Amino acid sequence: MLRTWMREGNHWVWFNAMAVAISLLAVVGLISFIVFKGMGHFWPKDIHAYTVQDGQGGTVQLIGELHRRGDRVEGNIKEGVTHIPQLLVKVGNRDIFGADFKWVDEHAIVQDITAKDLIMVERYEWGNMYGRLKSVTLGDGMTVTGDQAWDIFQQLIARHTELHKQIVRIQKYEIGAINAGVEQLRLDRRRLELDNELTEQAIAKLDEKRRQLDNDYQTLLAQMRQLEQTASALGKADIEIMNGSVVSLPINKVVESIMPNAMTITEKLGHYFHRIWVFLSDDPREANTEGGIFPAIFGTVTLVFIMTVFVMPFGVVAAVYLREYAKDGWITRAIRISVNNLAGVPSIVYGVFGLGFFVYVLGHNIDQLFYQEALPAPTFGTPGLLWAALTLALLTLPVVIVSTEEGLARVPRAIREGSLALGANKIETLWNTVLPIASPAIMTGLILAIARAAGEVAPLMLVGVVKLAPSLPVDAISPFVHLDRKIMHLGFHIHDVGFQSPNVEAAQPLVYATTFFLVLIIVALNISAITIRNRLRERFKSVDN
Amino acid sequence: MSSVHVVMDHQNRQFNLSDERVAIEVKDWNLYYGQKKALNNINMLLPEKRVTAFIGPSGCGKSTLLRCFNRMNDLVDSVRTEGSIRLHGHNIMDKRQNVSILRRKVGMVFQKPNPFPKSIFENVAYGLRLAGENNRSVLENKVEWALKGAGLWNEVKDRLHENAMGMSGGQQQRLVIARAIAIEPEVLLLDEPTSALDPISTLSIEELIFELKEKFTILIVTHNMQQAARVSDYTAFMYMGDLIEYTDTDTLFTNPAQKQTEDYITGRFG
Repeated sequence: MLRTWMREGNHWVWFNAMAVAISLLAVVGLISFIVFKGMGHFWPKDIHAYTVQDGQGGTVQLIGELHRRGDRVEGNIKEGVTHIPQLLVKVGNRDIFGADFKWVDEHAIVQDITAKDLIMVERYEWGNMYGRLKSVTLGDGMTVTGDQAWDIFQQLIARHTELHKQIVRIQKYEIGAINAGVEQLRLDRRRLELDNELTEQAIAKLDEKRRQLDNDYQTLLAQMRQLEQTASALGKADIEIMNGSVVSLPINKVVESIMPNAMTITEKLGHYFHRIWVFLSDDPREANTEGGIFPAIFGTVTLVFIMTVFVMPFGVVAAVYLREYAKDGWITRAIRISVNNLAGVPSIVYGVFGLGFFVYVLGHNIDQLFYQEALPAPTFGTPGLLWAALTLALLTLPVVIVSTEEGLARVPRAIREGSLALGANKIETLWNTVLPIASPAIMTGLILAIARAAGEVAPLMLVGVVKLAPSLPVDAISPFVHLDRKIMHLGFHIHDVGFQSPNVEAAQPLVYATTFFLVLIIVALNISAITIRNRLRERFKSVDN
Repeated sequence: MSSVHVVMDHQNRQFNLSDERVAIEVKDWNLYYGQKKALNNINMLLPEKRVTAFIGPSGCGKSTLLRCFNRMNDLVDSVRTEGSIRLHGHNIMDKRQNVSILRRKVGMVFQKPNPFPKSIFENVAYGLRLAGENNRSVLENKVEWALKGAGLWNEVKDRLHENAMGMSGGQQQRLVIARAIAIEPEVLLLDEPTSALDPISTLSIEELIFELKEKFTILIVTHNMQQAARVSDYTAFMYMGDLIEYTDTDTLFTNPAQKQTEDYITGRFG
């Protein structure tokens, strides 16, 4: 019985099924773990007010979110140890208490209430604040207390958010553009100086432009000061924090405030998605432990696109040469073996190469030749988007070459001969017939390249990815795509937030959330490439056999 | 052999090679694959606007010879040739001969239908576009003319912009013929054009060949002796790289001069 069962190979089938099941389970488990840990972070949690014995007969009050459970160990090995369950409470107010989190023994808690009037205030600096809203004082000195205070508080916050947006716009984009103009003038002047063409006329012209920019700057600065003044004159909120003292919080320090214990499930859900949106669309704050990840998402996607622009033409042309033109000798074979082996080189090696060759050799020479006026400050002689993209292009080149070659090899001879017999030469045949038929394979190469490149971190740290980039690589200032700028990247962001952060407990959920969005972006990029490939396949499917 | 007689009806015309105008002249033609000699001192005159069939057992060199007329053998690195092939007096093996222009004059249809994965229209327009024709109305006229010439127009006129890969095998082969005649070649090479097709499609292709010879010089390689007898005016029998016998089809099938030819057409070998 068992023997026939084995002879028919059933045990192998079961073994295969088991392997598939385990692999699937691992993938699904990993993804759901990341989703659970990361996406839970955005849910507006209840705020607890714990009354805790302080060990000296008295009690203290802790107000905050229950962050997670844990335990501490008491006793020693000789006499045996006991695990005492603990709660980690996020109490906020780092400016007052020194740390965001506090451990409390569970048994020391005498009372745990989730009162409806407990509020969470997210601030631009120093993290969250938890407490009770006592009163709101308006700019003209009028003080509001009671139920009305909360509504006024919300209105003021909304008003400030509006002002804050305007201030950021002026500061970042309009004044940014003027600064770019001033820098450009300085470079123009320096260039004329180097060319010995700095005449009186030229100086006068530059000065005139400079004056204009200065004027514009003064106008904008005045506008901004005005807005800032309005913002700071909005008023303040008095909040009673857990040690009983009342803190006066100016409205212009507040990002948002919620009363989670009083929220309905729909309100919570709405706020949940709002928070996810803010996370996706906002700049990071507080050493990347708060705010959003938008620059990192933008950097990752831009990097992948620019890499694609480099790797696809080079990879395809190289593969076409190897497969269609090169004579099949030992040189061709050696090249092919090298290309295949390049795919196995550790990525950090590419990073070191990129730094040594692209940045120091190429970049340095480009600066000497074209950006002399900016020296000694390097333009391309320093890590940046261009070099990161080129390093990744180099890293993924083997994948593209190998897939394209396979695609070309699969194009039937009959089709090529059909084209040649109609008077097409080799190039025409390649362009009109062979490459279109090989295009699904070329897309496969691109898919693999994207998957490899988007998740790469190690080489990028050396060639252009930074913890915090002052500006995005694409903006409204000519030449629009700034290949010399440093960028942020989700992969590096995960490393930085997770392992370089001063506030580990606060950073942890962000690591999961960022990871989730990195995976999501890679999947999205891949799905779009796969969709294109499937369309092409559909068009050329009957040729394959 | 009597059945062959019945089918063969060349409108009661008598064919005599010496009366024909010459399209292609093959002189002292040798071809080597590396060290191996594949064609051995071939000499023949191919008549204009007639159908000439090449028959012979597998590996006899008939396809290789056919591929010499549009220099498809250039694609094989190891091939070396001696002698000359003249198309209307012009040596096509001349170094100055532009191969693309030669192939526009000498069209070819292959054993397996090989349409491009493009629309029916674009398949037929492919050669025209290569020749630099991009005028929409000219293209449309020529495509229609070629599809009519290949007897395909009525079947496909409503779906010209559908993918050609969706057609049946017989339709695909006629499309490939339309593609070849669209650029109005002088000579049409057919390399076993019906071997991958069913009998009905084969018949329609044979009828097509009969019509096409009004305009084109047709050279056809076939494994099927009945087919050679049905469609050709002249037949060449090849064996082991030699041209054994070459004469009008009637004579070759009814009264072969060579023992080998007789053995082959009566089915004693091959």
